[in-house]
Amino acid sequence: MKSTALLLAATALVAFGSAAAEAQERVVKIYGFGAKSGVVRSFGINSEAAMKAAADEINKAGGIKLGDGAKGKVEVEFLDDRCNAEEGISVVRRIASTEALVAVGPTCSNVAEPLFGVLQKKAGDAGDTGLQFPIFTDVAVKGGLAKISEWAFRNVPSEAAMYDKLFAWLKTTRPELKTIYGGVEEDFAHSRATWYSVMKEKAGAGGLQVKGESKWLLADTNFSTQVREIKAAGADIVAISAHPFTTCGVLKEMRRQGVKPKLLIGLTSSSSLETLQGCAKEAEGIVIPTSFAPVTPEAETAASIVAKFNGSLDLHSGAAYENMFILKDVFESMKVMGKPDTVAADRDKVRQGLAKLQTTKGLIGTVKRTPDREAEKPFLFVYAKDAKWAVLHNPMN
Amino acid sequence: MIDLAQSIVDGVLFGTTYAVIGIGFTLIFGVMHKINMSFAAASIAGAYSGLLVFLLWKTAPPIVVFATSAALAGLIGYAIYLLCFRFIPIASPLATLMSTVGMLLLVDEIIVHLTAGMPLSYPAIYDGYPIELGQLILRVDLLLVFLVCLVAMAVLLYLLYRTRLGIATRAVAQQPVAAQLCGIRLTQVNAITFVMTGTLGGIAGAMIGASVGVLSPLLSLPLTVKGLIVTVIGGLGSIPGAIVAGLLVGAFENVFQMWRGVTERDMYVMLLLFAFLVFRPGGLFRIAGARD
Repeated sequence: MKSTALLLAATALVAFGSAAAEAQERVVKIYGFGAKSGVVRSFGINSEAAMKAAADEINKAGGIKLGDGAKGKVEVEFLDDRCNAEEGISVVRRIASTEALVAVGPTCSNVAEPLFGVLQKKAGDAGDTGLQFPIFTDVAVKGGLAKISEWAFRNVPSEAAMYDKLFAWLKTTRPELKTIYGGVEEDFAHSRATWYSVMKEKAGAGGLQVKGESKWLLADTNFSTQVREIKAAGADIVAISAHPFTTCGVLKEMRRQGVKPKLLIGLTSSSSLETLQGCAKEAEGIVIPTSFAPVTPEAETAASIVAKFNGSLDLHSGAAYENMFILKDVFESMKVMGKPDTVAADRDKVRQGLAKLQTTKGLIGTVKRTPDREAEKPFLFVYAKDAKWAVLHNPMN
Repeated sequence: MIDLAQSIVDGVLFGTTYAVIGIGFTLIFGVMHKINMSFAAASIAGAYSGLLVFLLWKTAPPIVVFATSAALAGLIGYAIYLLCFRFIPIASPLATLMSTVGMLLLVDEIIVHLTAGMPLSYPAIYDGYPIELGQLILRVDLLLVFLVCLVAMAVLLYLLYRTRLGIATRAVAQQPVAAQLCGIRLTQVNAITFVMTGTLGGIAGAMIGASVGVLSPLLSLPLTVKGLIVTVIGGLGSIPGAIVAGLLVGAFENVFQMWRGVTERDMYVMLLLFAFLVFRPGGLFRIAGARD
């Protein structure tokens, strides 16, 4: 009888122990999504590596402290949306059908815009049947998208602020530069929006005379006509609002035609390894504002950790890395439970937590949050030097 | 006026690359009466594979890269023959069409996965300044591309019209059953045709890479479309037609880019295609039907 009681007690202890262990080792799954195929695959690869590297760091430091005191181990799963709006929406619907509490992505603005449109516009609006699932964007950079839905948050740099500061700085340091001519990838949402709504506007406001722009398409191969237009304009500054493939095509054609402006300015997304792999020689000297460069100990460490996960840290993947730590803080401050029966409540807590943020910790400095759920990130001006990106000026100093 | 002349010159020179892609399409169609939709993608894959030389020889001269591109593209052409034609019912044109569409996507995605979609610098055939003829500028690299493509076409025409292999190829194109009865091995001739066109595609891919200076998976689809347009305008199966049509399309798109802008340019190229389909469906150089 005594031995039976002991056996029962032992079984109860084991059962309690395993339940406690289960509570202790709860898994918090964070999804990432973005392009992992197609020509912008590198965005997805780098974001995934950055998220996994950050998750590894968080787990090594003990994981996330959940609302009931249990520890949550972070797991990252990254899904491919092929930079396609329909697939992006379908991927997020699939993620939302699981117990996931938040997703980080997408990489493409042409996915972000329609995706945010399927989210509930105003949180708590019973008449709006839109998806109630928080999205925390790391890459898609086209301006002002988070205002589409109260469930949409972004940690992307403000290109308007970046180019505004860049032209103001040039006005002071390079007063001999009087004119600017643009080159724009006409069929790519980000490139087009950045030239027409940001670079062109800010250059004019900065006292530069805008002499026009030349246009090409994302898959173009022959830039002779456009470069002749650039040459004919004879502007002091040539600003190229295009992604690395056509940026390199244009720069190579400029070299062939002997077009040497006093200054080259590039699109934020081109401050990456891709441009240097495609045309390091021709890109020499191009100035680009970026929200990431390994200029702080934190940024240097993060870059080396992400490299171990086969990724490269740049302004986009740097945001993915930051997002993971921001989410950890939000989960802990909002006492997210991470249980199957609290999914809806937890998602709302994540949304509220992200909405409450005034500032977040960034890799190169403090990031301010705006009321419309966007970020005001610190940034630097970098330039291509000897096939590397070097810091030209730090406006934060 | 000088702008118009410059646009035509640039377009004609760049049109050479379209012509070579068009020849690949037309040659396979001429021999097998099949469209190989993966031809342009395989050409770009060939150009990419030429860059492998740099793994072994960091300072390899461009000519070695181009030759490797051509040779490896020939192998890719053979692999495409095996996967998309050899073991697929030849009597079903849709089956081979769909298999090559699948191959186009597969080749593209393989390139994307191996390179992460990043553009890769490709050596130029000539790295100096252009020739200036008054106000007219001639890109020396495009002139050299033009010459290389002309030589490649000449070699191809020689092979087709002055060798036993060429006689066999043309015999298979005209009367496959009779050719077989004469002892010509159909599968062997078809395989050699794919290796030949693959090699030609490799040269085209290398020349495109050399003239753009960068390789990207973005190149495959537009080149496929241009190659098909060139093939139709030139006349399905006609090699001289593909050459003339390639140059014509190159000039046409450049002129319309100058007049109407880049966003409208391709619309006019498509209208040109439709004009040919309606008014001259056989293309510039109509081939008389002579198959069983």
